[in-house]
Amino acid sequence: MKRIDSIIRPQNLDAVKENLAAIGVQALTVTEVRGFGRQKGHTEVYRGTEYAVDFVPKIMLTIISSDDRAKEIVDAIVAGARTGKMGDGKIFVSPLDEVVRIRTGEHGDAAV
Amino acid sequence: MTKNVVRRSGGWARLPGRAVLLVGLLGVLLRTGFAADTPKPDPAGIATGDKTTAVDAGGNAFAVPEPTDKTAPDYAKNKKDFDEYQAQAAREPLAAKLADSVGHIRIATNFAWTLNTGYLVLFMQAGFALLTCGLVRKKNAAHLMMLNFAAYVFAFLAYYAVGYAFQFGAVAVNAAPGNLGGTPTLNHFLIGSGQWGFLGGNGFFLSGPAYDAGSNCLMLFEVVFMETAGYIIVGSICERINFWGFLLCELFIGAILYPVFGCWVWGGGWLSQVGATLNMGHGYVDFAGSTVVHAVGGFTAMALAVILGPRLGKYGKDGKPRAFPAHNLVYVVTGTFILLFGWMGFNPGSTLGATDLRISVIAVNTNLAAVAGSATALFFWYLLFGKPDVTMACNGMLAGLVAITAPCAFVSPTSAVVIGTLAGLLVCGGVLFNERVSKIDDPCGAISVHGFCGWLGAVCVGIFADGTYGSGWNGIGAATYLGHAGQGVTGLLHGDTRQFFCQLGGATLCAVWAFGATFVVFSIVNKIKSMRVPPEVEREGLDIPEFGMSAYPEDAVVTVD
Repeated sequence: MKRIDSIIRPQNLDAVKENLAAIGVQALTVTEVRGFGRQKGHTEVYRGTEYAVDFVPKIMLTIISSDDRAKEIVDAIVAGARTGKMGDGKIFVSPLDEVVRIRTGEHGDAAV
Repeated sequence: MTKNVVRRSGGWARLPGRAVLLVGLLGVLLRTGFAADTPKPDPAGIATGDKTTAVDAGGNAFAVPEPTDKTAPDYAKNKKDFDEYQAQAAREPLAAKLADSVGHIRIATNFAWTLNTGYLVLFMQAGFALLTCGLVRKKNAAHLMMLNFAAYVFAFLAYYAVGYAFQFGAVAVNAAPGNLGGTPTLNHFLIGSGQWGFLGGNGFFLSGPAYDAGSNCLMLFEVVFMETAGYIIVGSICERINFWGFLLCELFIGAILYPVFGCWVWGGGWLSQVGATLNMGHGYVDFAGSTVVHAVGGFTAMALAVILGPRLGKYGKDGKPRAFPAHNLVYVVTGTFILLFGWMGFNPGSTLGATDLRISVIAVNTNLAAVAGSATALFFWYLLFGKPDVTMACNGMLAGLVAITAPCAFVSPTSAVVIGTLAGLLVCGGVLFNERVSKIDDPCGAISVHGFCGWLGAVCVGIFADGTYGSGWNGIGAATYLGHAGQGVTGLLHGDTRQFFCQLGGATLCAVWAFGATFVVFSIVNKIKSMRVPPEVEREGLDIPEFGMSAYPEDAVVTVD
């Protein structure tokens, strides 16, 4: 099993969600997050005084998949979230030890 | 019961001599207590408004009063006019009776106008609350709301107890509000007398001479003006003052600081009379309170902001300012529009009467200055920083409103646009100056909006007043002024330099009074007990430590048992 965490631009969430729905992803979790990478923050002016927006608002998607579907899902996210400019985000794929469905108590692949 | 009455009457019957003596004594007492020229309060409002208040559009009374001073040079003419009026009234008794009714209805119309515009001004408090709350950080939003709320409550009580009497206790001496029936019972200066009055002295706790329909109408309208000055300070001292310190500030403003200058200008005090006493134009003229209300509030706010010092982290170790962006621009814009709406009561209402048809010009002037100020601030910011700033556009609108408040009745619409533009520039300069040069931390720009632009507004009367309105203002030039019949308050551009210097001096005196008195009093208070919250409270946000609740509790993760 894999855990796929993707940091994307908030405005690209809809495109990513549609791509994922098209390939049959049935569950995902969205978290509003803030941070910076190579894009860095930017500055704005409030009442004549500059201030830095160090932590840029982003969306984090968390998807759990079986090992064989992970690549397909990653490709769908990339297709929806890419603009080609700095700040498009990153995808982290990591192995996952265990999944439990709380309602039924199912374990492992059956719970994905 | 019956027995009692019989016995008492029997007693009187047996002592006729003593009864006559007592009645006589009572008569003497009554005559000295309520001599013919000592007016009585009219709590029911039945005797307010009769044929003496039935006037034509020019303010000329229908009824001719009997001349009393036989040594006056025009006594013969006045006596002849009075005799003719008496003869006419005898020929047409119905007309004389109707005039009583007309006079009463005129006063009633003005009551309705004054009270309703007063309610509009009252609603400005909601605008101030939204505006200032929106401009601060989220962690202090509940604190801001509490300050705005408590300001109304406590300053009102202080004004009721003593403030109103200090300000208007002698208004009938030199500045009787004829549109409201003249409030003849408010006729005593506590300090000073005649044209050199410094503090009113009738009507403490709205009792005795102030328990009167006309006086209460005036009180309602004036107390909400005082509240406005009371609210202004919130914008400069927020995010760091503690609640008890703030309450002391409000009591001080409502009881003393505001009423003193208010008495000098609106209560018939010395500053309004310098036209007569020192030949300074029409005396100091502030139509609706650019200085009496706004500059008093603004410079009080400045003194308090200096005493408190800037918010933690506002200035870095290098001395450079840091921005604390507004947490809700929706509140800021909504609040500003509520203030604009309330100002439609603030300025036109200050005629104290709908029978003064200048109200339409005043309303248009007020709006024009508001939009001119706003447009100026918006473009100024756009040119300087590349993006228009909505908080500065709102400040610009308020700056225009504050600056037109004193001259609104005396200037043309075109002048109103110019005044609004000047205010828009001044408020931008003021905000940048306080932020970068003087380093007085003013979170909502109240010092620039109300202090600096209030001062500008009063000076603008002395520049732009065109003489079309205000004939006989403060008792000056009722017949002719500057050689013209009907010439009113006139500024520098229309040929009255003395008015300009009067305005310049009066407005500056206002700033000195408000800043100086506040600085002295609250420096001492602050030495005795700090008016600032501890640093850890300021970092956390004042909502929970001061009041135990936050404005947005849903933000916090809460577990219920």
